[in-house]
Amino acid sequence: MTTPIARRDFFSSATDGLYGTALAYLFGRDLYGGSGLLAADSRAALAPRLYDLTPKQPHARPRARAIIQLFMQGGPSQVDLFDPKPKLTRHHGQSVFKDLAADVSSPHAAGGLMRSPWKFAQYGESGTWVSELLPETARHVDRIAVIRSMYNTHPNHEPALYKIQSGKLLPGLPSFGSWIAYGLGTENQNLPAYVVLDDPQSRLPVNEIQNWQSGYLPPVYQGTRMRPTGSPILNLKPEKSRQRPELVVDASRRLLARLDRIHKKQRPGQLRLDARISSYELAARMQMTASDALDLGQETKDTQQRYGIGNSTTDNYARRCLMARRLVERGVRLVQIYTRGQMWDNHANIGTSLVGACQHTDQPVAALLDDLAERGLLDDVLVVWGGEFGRLPIAQVRPGSDPKKAGRDHGPAGFSIWMAGAGIRGGTVYGTTDEIGYRAVENRVSVADWHATMLYAMGMHHEDLYFDRHGFRERLTGTDEVRVVRELFA
Amino acid sequence: MRILAYILPLFALATALPGPLTSSAVAAPPAASIYETDIQPLLVARCGRCHANGKTKGKLDLGSLAGIQQGSESGAVVVPGKPNKSLLVEVLSEGAMPPDGKNRPTAAEVARITDWVRRGARTRYGAFSVKATLTQEDVLPILFTRCVVCHGGRQQKGGLDLRTRQSMLKGGKTGPAIVPGKPEESLLVKKIHDRDMPPPRLLVDFGIRPVEAGEFETIRGWIAAGAPRIDVIPDVATSHNDPLVSSEDRDFWSFRKPLKHAAPRLDDKTLAADVANPIDAFLLSALAAKSLKYSPPADRLTLVRRVAFDLTGLPPTWKQVETFLGDAQPGAYSRMVDRYLASSHYGERWGRYWLDLAGYADSEGKRSADPIRPHSWRYRDYVIRAFNADKPYDRFLLEQIAGDELADYAGAETITEQLRDNLVATGFLRQAPDGTGSDIVNTVVERFEVVIDEIDVLGSAVLGLTIKCAQCHSHKYDPIPQRDYYRLVAVFGGAYDVYDWLKPSFVPGQTKSKAVGRVLPYLTSTEQQQHKVARAAVEKQIAAVKKALTDRQAALQKQHAEKRLAGLPEAIRGDLRKMLATPKGERDTVQKYLAGKFEKRLTITTAALKKQNPQFKKLTTTTNDRVKKLQAELPAEPQIRALWDRGEPSPTWLFRRGQYNKPGHRIGPGVPSVLTDGRTPFAARPPWPGARSTGRRLALARWLVDPDHPLTARVMVNRIWFHHFGRGLVETLSNFGNAGTRPSHPQLLDWLARTLIEEKWSIKQMHRVMMNSNAYRQLSAIRPAAEEVDPENRLLWRMPLKRMEAEVIRDSILAVAGRLHDSPFGPPDPVDVRPDGLVTSRESPDGWRRSIYIRHRRKHIPTILETFDLPQMIPNCVERPDSTVASQALHLFNDTMIRSLADSFAERVAREAGKQPYKQIERSYQLAMGRMPSDAEREIGLAALEELTRLWRLRRQEPGTTDKTSKKTPPSQRALSTYCHTLLNSAGFLFID
Repeated sequence: MTTPIARRDFFSSATDGLYGTALAYLFGRDLYGGSGLLAADSRAALAPRLYDLTPKQPHARPRARAIIQLFMQGGPSQVDLFDPKPKLTRHHGQSVFKDLAADVSSPHAAGGLMRSPWKFAQYGESGTWVSELLPETARHVDRIAVIRSMYNTHPNHEPALYKIQSGKLLPGLPSFGSWIAYGLGTENQNLPAYVVLDDPQSRLPVNEIQNWQSGYLPPVYQGTRMRPTGSPILNLKPEKSRQRPELVVDASRRLLARLDRIHKKQRPGQLRLDARISSYELAARMQMTASDALDLGQETKDTQQRYGIGNSTTDNYARRCLMARRLVERGVRLVQIYTRGQMWDNHANIGTSLVGACQHTDQPVAALLDDLAERGLLDDVLVVWGGEFGRLPIAQVRPGSDPKKAGRDHGPAGFSIWMAGAGIRGGTVYGTTDEIGYRAVENRVSVADWHATMLYAMGMHHEDLYFDRHGFRERLTGTDEVRVVRELFA
Repeated sequence: MRILAYILPLFALATALPGPLTSSAVAAPPAASIYETDIQPLLVARCGRCHANGKTKGKLDLGSLAGIQQGSESGAVVVPGKPNKSLLVEVLSEGAMPPDGKNRPTAAEVARITDWVRRGARTRYGAFSVKATLTQEDVLPILFTRCVVCHGGRQQKGGLDLRTRQSMLKGGKTGPAIVPGKPEESLLVKKIHDRDMPPPRLLVDFGIRPVEAGEFETIRGWIAAGAPRIDVIPDVATSHNDPLVSSEDRDFWSFRKPLKHAAPRLDDKTLAADVANPIDAFLLSALAAKSLKYSPPADRLTLVRRVAFDLTGLPPTWKQVETFLGDAQPGAYSRMVDRYLASSHYGERWGRYWLDLAGYADSEGKRSADPIRPHSWRYRDYVIRAFNADKPYDRFLLEQIAGDELADYAGAETITEQLRDNLVATGFLRQAPDGTGSDIVNTVVERFEVVIDEIDVLGSAVLGLTIKCAQCHSHKYDPIPQRDYYRLVAVFGGAYDVYDWLKPSFVPGQTKSKAVGRVLPYLTSTEQQQHKVARAAVEKQIAAVKKALTDRQAALQKQHAEKRLAGLPEAIRGDLRKMLATPKGERDTVQKYLAGKFEKRLTITTAALKKQNPQFKKLTTTTNDRVKKLQAELPAEPQIRALWDRGEPSPTWLFRRGQYNKPGHRIGPGVPSVLTDGRTPFAARPPWPGARSTGRRLALARWLVDPDHPLTARVMVNRIWFHHFGRGLVETLSNFGNAGTRPSHPQLLDWLARTLIEEKWSIKQMHRVMMNSNAYRQLSAIRPAAEEVDPENRLLWRMPLKRMEAEVIRDSILAVAGRLHDSPFGPPDPVDVRPDGLVTSRESPDGWRRSIYIRHRRKHIPTILETFDLPQMIPNCVERPDSTVASQALHLFNDTMIRSLADSFAERVAREAGKQPYKQIERSYQLAMGRMPSDAEREIGLAALEELTRLWRLRRQEPGTTDKTSKKTPPSQRALSTYCHTLLNSAGFLFID
């Protein structure tokens, strides 16, 4: 395993005196003019105000120093995975449409109640119920807390995704990842604080880059897409056809440094010029660190196999799970892994499409938990699994079509997610849905509750993490009444 | 067993969410409090100044049980058992009340009130009850939200109109909708109860959600009570003073009209010598108070670069520099400023600032599909032209806010350019993200978001106030009661009616109802003609391509017929040919007979022909492809993305807590009371006799451009100042309220505001005034002594050092490289999106156009612009962030387009300067920096070119190098290219002194 480049080493390797000073000033610190500050931040009086990624003190003792979010966008079906409902079997086919109408996006294909085609069993010492579709995840139930009572407030992907990412049904607000980067900074200045690993073989998820935007927070806090092939970060390297010999690049860098030094010397005291000059050095340094972090060749064959690398069913997702481990190891604060296309959006043929989605992810996810645990990382890395909503307990099938081709429509009123690591009480099953698995009824967990709970794990209080915008204190959880789900933690 | 039993309780559950959660927060006092003894005296003592003894600010009386039960204009203030839902507890525990912080209740007192509420708000006479008589005002908002789309003004399905009590009594084809006193006999109740209405399967199509349980109870309760009706007069500013807005509130600096102060006299002679115009007098007297003075004036090279970027966003051409340097006459500087003000690039620069405020975009946003707005660019062009023509700012606002109400366009015989512009200008209020073109997000909630965003745009861009907070509750920092917000909503009601909505556009696959988009067809006959000509040209091409195919087909078919005819007796061939040539309907009996017998044998179907003749098959495919492509090029039917008043708006109800399903009382149109004398009614009337329009927005616009308006001129001059001097006199450009900053130079701000009005709202004149001051002509260098006194340069003892903004970087690199295609206006240029996320604008044979003409699709903002802080417009941008991050360095250093432009830059240098390296270096500096290189820079450049040439030569000599370009381009040229690329990355290029 390679050692991440330490902050100290980086300074000592910056040989040029001028650059050293400038770096000390900048070093991941981005100069930004605007307004706003973290609660109780004494830098308030500084001007121009600085927004940077240097590590910040949390409000309280953190349980987690990093989060890996296994984001299952599209809406995994809770009644087929984590929330068994025998009543569905008993009342299979019965129409309840009028009661659910408010949440049905395609009313013309609304069928009757639909039983789950899969068997559930109890696993581990806790006896948590898991469907036969997730045998590998089931091995870990004693590490996992399943929340069965999550709910979202819109039955359509776009608004629901905005909500789960940023707390409101609208675009333009900072994602919770940006809030975490803003509140805590990051431990490794040579890597982004908030990394997004979307599927390199499929299109961007619904809402695209707006899933990890920073909204009104400074752009330094937005998620950075890292890609396993080519340039890990956009423009981190020139395109092949545009590459220059190393010696030419060196000469060009030296030339730039000399010209900028003259320019700067004639303009003493201009902090912005220092920052700019340093940003070029930082960019150069990033090229090395980022490529190294994503280099899975440094992992043993055995590790690769355990994740499912090399197996065509799992390879793509497995690689990103392993990258996520390497990134949190190097101090990245939040890694978000998106799944392939809309594979959990099983409107039709749920009998086969859901199987595919599970097979694609089950082994890599379980291997990630094993790996994190073995390396002691699970103690302070929070792993979160789930989508923007779940699915309805009724069939979605056009009248007259083959019922075997039925799927399930979006179900925001109640769905399941799970969390593990970072002091999460394993084996917990929290909250319930009603008897058909439609709506969360007991210990309901709103998206804001869930956000606040993740902030809590990171040592932040949702009310103290705010951004002052034109005299208005903006928070991730807004003005909602919010409850941290402390019961999830040991 | 019916499974419904398990689900029906859901209805009830909807209203019974988890209760209070802060159970352990406060230790309970020993005995439960009673209102009369424990609470009332306390409230009177602490809140009585405004909410007791006859004073009812915000319609709230805390002095009596009846008053507290009645609640405030924001709704109930006490919800027994639920402190978290009780406004009274909220404002007291947050410290929001009393607003001035005086006579605040102690923590123990707040705890006592909280506990009283938690324990059910007991009174001496038992339970606390909110007695309320339901009236039609409780029911109508529900029906407007859930029903009137089909049973209202536009449609009366089943002959039913639910907009008034009267029409409900009348009912529809199946009888009256309500039977007062008998809910169980009322069809309205039955249909809703059985969930037949609103029809569950049509909800999505009509943007309706089912009636909520509480709403149903309200409807039933109202009917049960006999469906009482009260007379309602919408809440408007009247002769009564608004209790939430006091005369002290109106006395706040920015709410008073600006006065023209005389410029201060400077006694110090050296200081007085620095005064070029009153701006300097104001600034210098403030500086003198701190024993500071201006920095020395900048040299001409610095000035011409500064002015060029400030006014056009492009580097000065070397010719422009030489002209200015060569002008030895007095007034050379002012003339140089005037030349740039006259440039057509001025509107592209300053129009962009305005487009940021409007939130300009070429797509609807909100949805993943991010549908394109095909007509948005007309507004963009309008703005650029308005700036270039120096359209007076008051006229500019009138057109943009109420262009549709300035003159009768629908009844006009000809559409003049002015009439067209009036409508195009209203695009200002059509820029907010709007996803309602998709059925699934076209409910009142999402519609109201559009209205909120547009009010936000108006407030932040024009008014300089953040009024958004008042959407949910009366403003905490500014004296803007919630009702003021809804008065603005009512102003927009004629055009944006959330109960009677027009979709922005038709989104394929996401829209069922084909209701036309919110566009108008009133273009000038010239434009219509141009469109027809352009369309006809493409149509002609299509026809020609199609004809080539049909001709070929006819020829082949004829061949086929001849071949078959050859096998038939010669005697009948002539008749058969005639028969084939005669259209079916015109054949005589003989021909018909012949056709029946022979036609099949003589003809061949297209499908068979394709099978038989591969060439023809290929021709068919290529033709179809070509036709498809040409059809895509057909210019869109010209339309104006406008906002217009449609007349007869639905009523506006205040939404308590900003929620559509918590309607309060009925509100009429008006403007924020604190900005008026509080007595003058808002005068909205139809703008011309017989107009359908309400005239509400016209009244708003006229009020805004009144010369004595306290904010309009101040906000605008402050923005112009900000763009020239890097910092606003009021730093919070869009917040002149209490939470905003106070002006650093209040008298100067007012002087500028008055000057704008005196100069007939000419913006160009304001540039002249500001740029001809000596303040603007200072150096930007830091003087340590001055920095110690005023580190933020608030007093303006120097000019700021600025980095180019996003568009300026891109446009300047293009200009320097000689690849800028100088062609203004028209539909935006498309962008390409690479799988790795890189978004680039597409190059045309003539190069790239300026950034303002790139398609601004929200989800696909060109990477270079985004990297350099072009924000997403949600809904607009009042001040761009200004960041320095590594990704910017990465982009300029590694990006392919930048590298290719560096090649063009180098080719241009070689072309214009020849082969001599020192001449090349000089020319590079002239083009990129607008100056000659210094001796040091010359030397460094020469050494670098030499080294780079050597290195590139090495590369060429490397055995087995496959680099084709190295072989084609000589090493010296590649070296020059690398050198030019480095210059484009250097601080000297990117920063403006």
